[in-house]
Amino acid sequence: MRDVAVVGVGLSKHVSKRRDVNIPELVWEGVSAAYEDAGITPRDLDGIITGNMPAFEGVNLPELWGAGHWGAYNKPVLRITTGGTTGGSVGHGAFYAVASGLMDTVIAIAFEKQSDGDSTAGLNTVAVADMAPFLSYGIDPAFMLAFGGGAVGVAVYQASSYMKRSGCTPHHLDKVSVLCRTNAAKNPAAHLKQPGLTPEEVARTALMQYPLRFGHVCPASDGACAMILTTAEKAKKLTDKPAFIRSVASCSEEGALVGIAAAGTANTDPCAQEGCKVAAANAYRKAGIKEPRQEIDLAEPYAPFAHQLLMFYERLLLCDEGEAPSILDSGSMELDGALPVCPSGGVISTNAIGASALERIAEAALQIMGKAGEHQVEKDVHKAVAHGWGGAVNLNVVAVLADTPTPRG
Amino acid sequence: MEREVAIIGYAQTPYEEDADASREILVLRAAREALASAGLSRDDIGTVITANNDYLDGRTISNMRLVEPSGACLKDESKVEMDGAYAALYALMRLLSGFHDVAMVIGESQASVYPTYAPGVMTLDPTWDRQRGLLNEVSAAALQARSYMNTYGISEEQIAAVAAKNLGNAVKNPLALRAVPGATVEQVMGSRMLCSPIREMCAWPATDGACAIVLAAGDVARKANRAAWIRGVGFYHDSYLTERPLDKMTSLKMAADKCYAMAGIEHPEVEIDLAEISELFAHEELMAYEALGFCAEGKGGEFIDSGATRMDGILPVNPSGGVLAANAVCAAGLARLAEAAMQITGEAGDHQVKGVKTALAHGQTGLCAQENIVYVLGGE
Amino acid sequence: MKSGEGLKNVKRMSVPFAPVFNWSVGNWMEQFFDGLKQKKILASKCAACGRVYLPPRMICERCFDKTEEWVELPETGTVETYTMAHVGVADNGELEDLPEPQIIAMVKHDGADTCMAVRVDAQDCNVGLRVKAVWNAEPDGVLDALSAYRALD
Ligand SMILES: [Zn+2]
Repeated sequence: MRDVAVVGVGLSKHVSKRRDVNIPELVWEGVSAAYEDAGITPRDLDGIITGNMPAFEGVNLPELWGAGHWGAYNKPVLRITTGGTTGGSVGHGAFYAVASGLMDTVIAIAFEKQSDGDSTAGLNTVAVADMAPFLSYGIDPAFMLAFGGGAVGVAVYQASSYMKRSGCTPHHLDKVSVLCRTNAAKNPAAHLKQPGLTPEEVARTALMQYPLRFGHVCPASDGACAMILTTAEKAKKLTDKPAFIRSVASCSEEGALVGIAAAGTANTDPCAQEGCKVAAANAYRKAGIKEPRQEIDLAEPYAPFAHQLLMFYERLLLCDEGEAPSILDSGSMELDGALPVCPSGGVISTNAIGASALERIAEAALQIMGKAGEHQVEKDVHKAVAHGWGGAVNLNVVAVLADTPTPRG
Repeated sequence: MEREVAIIGYAQTPYEEDADASREILVLRAAREALASAGLSRDDIGTVITANNDYLDGRTISNMRLVEPSGACLKDESKVEMDGAYAALYALMRLLSGFHDVAMVIGESQASVYPTYAPGVMTLDPTWDRQRGLLNEVSAAALQARSYMNTYGISEEQIAAVAAKNLGNAVKNPLALRAVPGATVEQVMGSRMLCSPIREMCAWPATDGACAIVLAAGDVARKANRAAWIRGVGFYHDSYLTERPLDKMTSLKMAADKCYAMAGIEHPEVEIDLAEISELFAHEELMAYEALGFCAEGKGGEFIDSGATRMDGILPVNPSGGVLAANAVCAAGLARLAEAAMQITGEAGDHQVKGVKTALAHGQTGLCAQENIVYVLGGE
Repeated sequence: MKSGEGLKNVKRMSVPFAPVFNWSVGNWMEQFFDGLKQKKILASKCAACGRVYLPPRMICERCFDKTEEWVELPETGTVETYTMAHVGVADNGELEDLPEPQIIAMVKHDGADTCMAVRVDAQDCNVGLRVKAVWNAEPDGVLDALSAYRALD
């Protein structure tokens, strides 16, 4: 296997509605920033790996129309889409493209322009094929309508289950939102920036469905993320401090909503997320990491809902099950903590769906390269883990990054 | 390539107009049969890549419900939203990286569940072309066909000859949807005109079906029941259809050149024994002959007239009947790969061509074949 | 009852589905649309390679530069390729017979390097035919302002 390095990251600004640009133009903002950051042009590129949440904006295979705006002229293009994990899957695809030896330098591009979409379309295309099981859950279609595909409906069950199992309280959920939104205030690419936010303010936002309040849930964003990956040799010529992607692993479980009986494994307990544990264990092993709790310096779990930051911290094997709430209380997850979590502000602050899981990898890379700016964490980051989640509560993707390649032998 | 990778198992469902089964069942059938043909069990599979399209499946995240039937449960699974030949590419990358040794690749589409031509229209520039109602898969293909005919003096009969050949070949392929015993050029020319010069028999039929292949690297491949080795691969993207010349397939030519360089092929017209081409419309096969270097630029018409690409010709193309005989969209290019592998392993049955040592397979995505991928497979 | 019977009905469960998308067209297309309202055909030009895009594109795909220059193009152009369409795609996504066959052509406007798919109102057509835009007297919005062309004498 060849070592794979990240040499450039680019993010567009993320806001609710970008009416001044169309989809390819919005994506260009992230893409051109990535080329600039890496100090290369599309001429240096061997291929493009791209994806977004299919079906939300009503444009099928948007790269056919728009990839000319991203440097695709006469280049190979591969489209990978897996729902909420799309960005992570795109990052994994770019990793494999380089690791395989088929390509040297590639750009990973993931994006969403939710304001172009139709939430009704989202509702129908996501949920209708599963409508009977959804209804058997008692999930209110109004939530699916408002939040693009029923994710919040499923999330409240997951949150309740997690709280029961871990001892996480509503106050912890409020504190997660504060952690993320105040970090987001320091990230120029983030969407919901709330400097000085307090847990009390979060607790006063309207209850959507117990236990989640509006303050615990991600916004819908327009935005794009791009990342340039290349070989270790080529990385040396471009930067003194690349971030290496040591490994990637994904794990798909049975859907949460298999059949009318809803008997899928991911659903036995929607907070179990066995797939995340499997993916994390595989990724650490392939990255040569034996003790993730000691070795990982920073985590970017995919958490569009507050409880998920704590839940996935545990499922990424960074502590025992049920320990995350007290670790949050200890202050260890803050920018100056022992194992900072979501220094970018996380998905709870910014969610351009297709881009979100790539942004987790991008943030890990920026932190390792020391280029995160105002939200750069205090400690030196040698190793970081980045995660994505989606599907019918059943897909998890994990990447491990480091400032050195995977040790051999 | 970093490692040697081979196709060691394959299966296709019968292609039907309206399969009496859900897509999950089609995928399950293809996956099980492909595993059985590889002599492996689900435990042996490291990674699963599916090819499907949310617009074609009528649902978002269409791979998430294929986890169970594709055998991907608790495995490293992903989805390529393109033709299935690209899913095979992603699986190949995963094996070459050394992270995985055995991959299951599946492509599926069910035309009977989606509005057949809507997904193609939905790929158009939504700020302009899509709202003007003129372009669609058929009219775009017709514009390409006319452009090609005009530049190189190709006749409608030469295009019809492709359809006659492929639909005639399909008679010997028990899985094909559209087979026309003794199909003639006259018969094709007599079929209904859709958008000139594209006639009904020159356009792909709406199809339900799935295809699965098993890819393996290294030792697993060497010990397998059978192996069709991947010698080379190339793929390229072309500009949007109003921004490029339509009379040639630039991205296919680039993909072929890349693939041939990797496979060490200098004279494709003599070194390649057989090709399975994704010809969604008949003229595309003639254009592909040229882009693939089977004949000189502009000579695609003469090449079909020469009989070279018939079952008994020097370079048979689409003995399976090709995409004109069955087009389960996301399975189409993957089926070409499976068919090319079957020809190499000698398992193509009634449509087997003798002595195939090196075979080419082609897949495409996008209106007017905007994106193309080419593989060269070899025997021992 | 044969196994699987009745599945067709399940598969065809129809869903009330009338999505309304809100595509932003972007500043380049907006300038183009503003031009159409004044019967002007505005294209964007790449300063680096001189390529002229119609409809305009923000980025020249060949140079990866912004196309900052605007040029007004004449109403005339040349048919690059054409088809006589007997069918179109209906709202239900299936092919339907058109009431009258219509000529659809890729027209390259004089001075442009890219094509537009347009309707040509003529009895027949050929590659190389010179055509001229016919402005709709009262276009139904800008999107069909430039949809019909006629042969140039
Ligand atoms: Zn230019």
